[in-house]
Amino acid sequence: MIKQDLKTLEEKSIFVIREAKLKFNNVAALWSMGKDSTTMLALTRKAFLGKIPFPVIHIDNSIDFPETYKFRQDLAKKWKLDLIVADSEIRPDLIGSACCGKNKPDTLKKVMDQYGFDALIVSIRRDEHGIRSKERYMSPRDKNFKWDYKNQPAELWDDYSSKLDAKGHVRVHPLLDWNEIDIWRYVKQEKVPTNPLYFSRNGYRYRSLGCTHCTVPLKSNAKNVDQIINELAVTKDEERSGRSMDKEREYVMQKLRSLGYM
Amino acid sequence: MYTDDAMIVKNIALLGHKDHGKSTLIGSMLMQTGAATQVRINEAKEYSRQLKKNFEPAFILDSFAEERTGEMTIDTTRAEIKFKDMAFALIDVPGHEELIKNMISGASYGDIALLIVSAKKDEGIRDQTKRHLFIARMLGIESLVVAVNKMDLIGYDEGKFQEIRDGLAEFITKIGFERASVSFVPISAYNGENLVKRSLNMKWYKGRPLIETLYAYAKREGRKQADALRIVTQGAIPSAKGELVVGRIVNGTVKTGEKVSVLPAGEAAVVKEITVKGSKVKKAVFGENVALRLDRKVIAELRGAVISSASSKPVVSDLIRAKILVTGKIRKDSVIKFNGVDISCKNVKVLNGISTTTGERNSSKTAKLLEAVDAEVRLARKIPIEGYDVTRELGRFVLYSGKKFAGIGIIRE
Repeated sequence: MIKQDLKTLEEKSIFVIREAKLKFNNVAALWSMGKDSTTMLALTRKAFLGKIPFPVIHIDNSIDFPETYKFRQDLAKKWKLDLIVADSEIRPDLIGSACCGKNKPDTLKKVMDQYGFDALIVSIRRDEHGIRSKERYMSPRDKNFKWDYKNQPAELWDDYSSKLDAKGHVRVHPLLDWNEIDIWRYVKQEKVPTNPLYFSRNGYRYRSLGCTHCTVPLKSNAKNVDQIINELAVTKDEERSGRSMDKEREYVMQKLRSLGYM
Repeated sequence: MYTDDAMIVKNIALLGHKDHGKSTLIGSMLMQTGAATQVRINEAKEYSRQLKKNFEPAFILDSFAEERTGEMTIDTTRAEIKFKDMAFALIDVPGHEELIKNMISGASYGDIALLIVSAKKDEGIRDQTKRHLFIARMLGIESLVVAVNKMDLIGYDEGKFQEIRDGLAEFITKIGFERASVSFVPISAYNGENLVKRSLNMKWYKGRPLIETLYAYAKREGRKQADALRIVTQGAIPSAKGELVVGRIVNGTVKTGEKVSVLPAGEAAVVKEITVKGSKVKKAVFGENVALRLDRKVIAELRGAVISSASSKPVVSDLIRAKILVTGKIRKDSVIKFNGVDISCKNVKVLNGISTTTGERNSSKTAKLLEAVDAEVRLARKIPIEGYDVTRELGRFVLYSGKKFAGIGIIRE
């Protein structure tokens, strides 16, 4: 995995996050308590003099890990987050990708409508998945959250499309350029707080965190950030190999994202 | 500061007509340099099988279902490879004419251009081949590598390779590339020949394989930055001691105590305090995002303004002369996007046309689709401008007509 210059990545992300706040009327960020969205919050603090000047949303289906809830509570207090917890009900008839494709986006739609957010910061990275690699820094979604991936707006020279359809919103992706290993190098450099589930216990660790139903830990002895960086420098495995939804056949990620999955 | 073996990443913009092998080339490069994970390779193999095709390396990049079944790239993406002490981000772009906005979006990030031309019979140099080159040069890319592809399908014929090289030479010089910054490499993207290792089938070729050629250009010095301070502002943010102006330094350095001018209004101010990433500093440099406390409250709009050195300011004008690449219908009332703000046009007057496939100027007074023009744009208000080669951010704009992407503009002086 290629280690990129952290200063370049950091400056680009700060620019995009400030742009999101200053261009749109009402921005919010999604926070899953994972390494990426927590790094995004750390970058936001850098951009706004130690503050996070917009609400952060957790789509809570009540089946996240206990460690994740503890982490949410602690960091929300420490960083004085304006936290919106949006309860998402798990339905027994929706399993795997059907659950991800329906429950979370539906809950998010409700929150977006309720608060009238016109921009949403989402901490996806290109190197996570082939479909995510096709994203823009700023990507418009219609009122049904549909991603018109066959007709994305031009995006060049940091001048992002601002044309919105009525009731649509713009997804803002400040971490698009980062690789997984860069996130961990930044976590180390900036001492970004991390969910303990990422570190190895009994020979296993979580490399990508979803909810308890669909996430399995991978074999690993990496017990701290340095060991994770070393592990990622040589790994041949995919980051999301512990996420069951990604493994379903037939372009499941494409379908999920076009329907509004984060 | 924490340092480790981080790499400089150079962006390589792929160019070329559809089906000449851009995505296949990237797929092969990813495999040969070990950058593609086995999971991605297996996935590409599986989809090739499902579609009853031979293994298609392009599928490592082309992730959309429609891209695989339709055998065409729809939107831009990028993939990274390591080579020696450097990394390259290979930016894939679609070759189809109607997807030119996606091509431009990808190519606008390029440091070096990599043009693919198929040597196969009935393929060769096409209009789109030249148009992509024209756009890359217009965007300011100075180094160009031309990969002459599908050599395996024409018996590795040196004559055909020479023919393509000669066929492009004049055009390449005409649009402003320097000879010393252009190289030609014969390859087979599908077989992976002359990409990382020299091909035994083309012993007549004495140059370096593709990746070595890219590396040589990547090692060259980048564009020199101008000295005079320019900060493009994004707006203002609150702080305990009043408002701070935030923006990015696009040229020069800023120091505390420095006299500046806020443009276009031209308000004079002194920089009292500089914050970079939450820390107060005495000086900030090119590329940094700053938050500035000025000695007085600025009255002007702070979105899309420019903070300039007081002694060396850019021109402020509502009339701009620019070269425009036309991608849609340009109207009198089109809008330009300029550093995050939309500014209405009052008039767009075409002075002459420029063919994107010959580089020649012509007497056309209309903006034809996929051609370029020299034009005078009259704006509804004044903006600070500078030549694109001096300060990129102040010398370029995007044109929209309603919701339609209508063109890109480069300001020359």
